[in-house]
Amino acid sequence: MGKSSFLGPETIALYSGYQPDPLYGSRATPIYQTTSYAFETVDEGASLFNIEKGGHIYSRITNPTVAILEQRIAALEGGSGTVCTASGMSALFVTFITLCSAGDHIVSATQIYGSTATLLRHTLKRLGIDCTFVPINDEVALKGAIQKNTKLVFCESIGNPGLEVSDLPAIADIAHENGIPVVVDATFATPSLCKSFEHGVDIVVHSVTKWMGGHGVAIGGAIVDGGSFDWGKHGKHPTITEPYDPFHGISFWEEYGPSAFVMRIRAESMRDLGPSMSPHTAFLLLQGIETLELRMQKHVENAKKLTQWLLKQELVTWVNHPDLPDNPTHSIAERLFPYGAGSMLCFGVVGDRDGGSAFLDALELCSNLANVGDSRTLVLHPASTTHSRMDNDAMIAAGISPDLIRVSVGIESIEDIIQDFKVGLRAAGRLTK
Amino acid sequence: MIINVGGNETFVATGGQAFDPKKPTVVFVHGSGLDHRCWALQSRWFAFHGYSVFAPDFPGHSLSKGEPLLSIEEMGEWLVEALVVAGVESIHLVGHSMGFLIVLESASLLGDRLKSITAVASAAAIPVNEELISTAETSATNAADLMLRWGFGSHTQLGSSAVPGMQPIAIGRQIMSDNPLAIDLKACRDYSAGKSRAESLSYPANVILADEDKMTPCNFGLELASSLNANVSTIKNSGHMLPMESPKRTLDAIKSFVIKNSN
Repeated sequence: MGKSSFLGPETIALYSGYQPDPLYGSRATPIYQTTSYAFETVDEGASLFNIEKGGHIYSRITNPTVAILEQRIAALEGGSGTVCTASGMSALFVTFITLCSAGDHIVSATQIYGSTATLLRHTLKRLGIDCTFVPINDEVALKGAIQKNTKLVFCESIGNPGLEVSDLPAIADIAHENGIPVVVDATFATPSLCKSFEHGVDIVVHSVTKWMGGHGVAIGGAIVDGGSFDWGKHGKHPTITEPYDPFHGISFWEEYGPSAFVMRIRAESMRDLGPSMSPHTAFLLLQGIETLELRMQKHVENAKKLTQWLLKQELVTWVNHPDLPDNPTHSIAERLFPYGAGSMLCFGVVGDRDGGSAFLDALELCSNLANVGDSRTLVLHPASTTHSRMDNDAMIAAGISPDLIRVSVGIESIEDIIQDFKVGLRAAGRLTK
Repeated sequence: MIINVGGNETFVATGGQAFDPKKPTVVFVHGSGLDHRCWALQSRWFAFHGYSVFAPDFPGHSLSKGEPLLSIEEMGEWLVEALVVAGVESIHLVGHSMGFLIVLESASLLGDRLKSITAVASAAAIPVNEELISTAETSATNAADLMLRWGFGSHTQLGSSAVPGMQPIAIGRQIMSDNPLAIDLKACRDYSAGKSRAESLSYPANVILADEDKMTPCNFGLELASSLNANVSTIKNSGHMLPMESPKRTLDAIKSFVIKNSN
C-alpha cells in the first residue's frame, strides 16, 4: 500500500509535483501547450522511445502539465503512479483492456454507474471479455462468480445510484485469495474521504470531472496504481508479466515492479489508443484539486445538514445516505468513511413521478442536470430524465423509484440550499391537495 | 534472466537485451532493501549501447530465491560467484549505498576482469542507527518510511518525479517493505573494512555524490573518493536515492566514466 508523500493532504493538493520552474520562477503551474518536445540529440530521442530514460516525447503519451496532475493525484491517493485520461470512462476502458484480453472475465458490482455497466455488459463483450454482475457485498455471490479466467473485481466505493458502500477490505480479501486485483471507481469518495489503498484496493479509477475538479468545467479521468499487487506471484496477468514485443520483449513487472501496471498503460494504451488529457484541462483540474480538502469538508458538512433537515419534512417520503442508520451499508460507511460518506443523497417526495417533476421545476438556485460533484448543488429526477423511457416497474427493478430525487450537495450556504428545497417541496405538496 | 547461484534461483535484470558474457558488462548492485528496479533508468541504456547488463536481486530480495546474506563480506563473495556462473569476462562494477560496500568486497576477487568501479551515493562505512534496525526488525514498512523521508531530496519530497506520473517514494517504499531490510541494515552496521579495502584497490574509480544526501553525506563520500583516488561528481538538488531520484544525471555520470574506461 504505497504511501507516496510525507506531507499532509492539504499541502500535497497545493504543491505536489511542481516547484517553480527554473526559467521564470512561475509559482502557478504553467500550461505546456505543446504537442512535442525537442530531443537534445538523436541518441537522446532514441533512448526516450526505448524507455531507457524518463521524459517527454509527444503529448498523447505524456505532457509536463498533465504529469504534474498525475503526480499530485498519485500522492493524494498514496499510489506509485497515475495516468490521466480524457475522461473517467476512458480511464475505465483502458484499465479493463490492460488487464483483460479476449476470453477473459470480470466480476463487477451490480450497482454501478450506467455507462460503466454498458461498457462491461455490451462493449467489452464485443471484444470477447465477459462480465458477471453480483451484489458486491454478498461474499458468497462474489466468491461464486470468480472463474479461472477472471482478471479483476470491479466496484464503486459508493455505488450509484443506491448509495451502498462497498466493503473494500472484504472484497479485497476474496479477490486476493483468487490472485486477482480489486479495481475501484472512487469518484464519489475522493482520496479526501477514503484512502482506498489502505483498505486493500489495488487500482483506483476516478472521473476527475467530478469532486476532484469541482468546478464543472473540464472532463478527465485518472488511473492510480496502488503498487502493492504482486503480479508475478499468480501469473494471471500476462500483459503485465510476459514479454511485450513492441518494446524488445520488456516485462513490465520485472522492469518496473510497483509501477508495472501504469507503465504498461502508458506504453500501450496511451500510445495506441490515444485517450490523452489536454494540458489545458490538466491545468483547470489542478486549480480545483488545490482546494479539494476544504471543499470535501464543506460538501460533507452540507450533506449531513441537508439530510437531517430532509428527515424532518412531512412532504419527504424517505431519505437515503450511507451515514444514515437505515442505509444497508451504514456500518461499512462508518468504518471506511470516518469523516462522512460523501455528498450524494437521494430522497423521495410526495406525488410520486409528478411530485418529483414539480420539485425540480420549482427550484431557483440548485441546478437540474445530469452531473455530480460540482461545487454547486446539482439535482436530478431520474424518472423524468435519465430513466424517463422506463415504466415504473422497470425503474423499480433498476433500484430507482419514480419519486427518487438525486442530489449532489454543493458547498453553497446551507441555508440557501434548504430555502430552495422548501420551494421545491411546496410545489410537490400542492399536487397532493 | 534466471541463473543458479549457490543452489538458488537468482533473478538478474539484463536491461531488456539478451545477456552476452563476451561484451563488456556493467554490473549494478542495489542498496539495502532494494532490488534491480532502482537501476531501471540506467541499466536499459547500457544494454542498448554495446554493453551487457548484470543487475541481480540479491538472495531473498524481490525476484530472487534463497536466504538473505548476513554480511557484506558474504554478499561480496556471492556477487563474484554469480559473475563466474554468468561467465562475465569484462566487468564495470556500479554500487548504490550498501551496494558499493559489496563492490569493495568483490573488487579484490575479480582480478584483471574488473575494469572500473563506481560508487553512487555511498561511503566507506555506513553506520546505522540501532533504533532504525530495531524498527526494521518489527516492520520493514515503518523503517522504509523513516529511510525514505531522509533518503529522498527536497524536490522528490514535494512530489517531483523524473518519470512522468510516477511517485518514487511509493515505489521505493513498496520494494523495501517486501525485502529483508533489517538484515541488510545490520550488515551495513557491522561492516568496518571499507576504508582499508578502498585504499588497497587500484582500479579506475568514480564516486557520484548527492548534495542533499543525509544518509551518506557528501563529506563521507569525499573521504571514500580520497581513499580510492577517484573521479568525483556531485549531483545537485538530489538526495541519497540518486538512481531513482535523478536517473538521467546519474546515468550521465556513470556512462561517461564507464565509456572512458572501456577502451
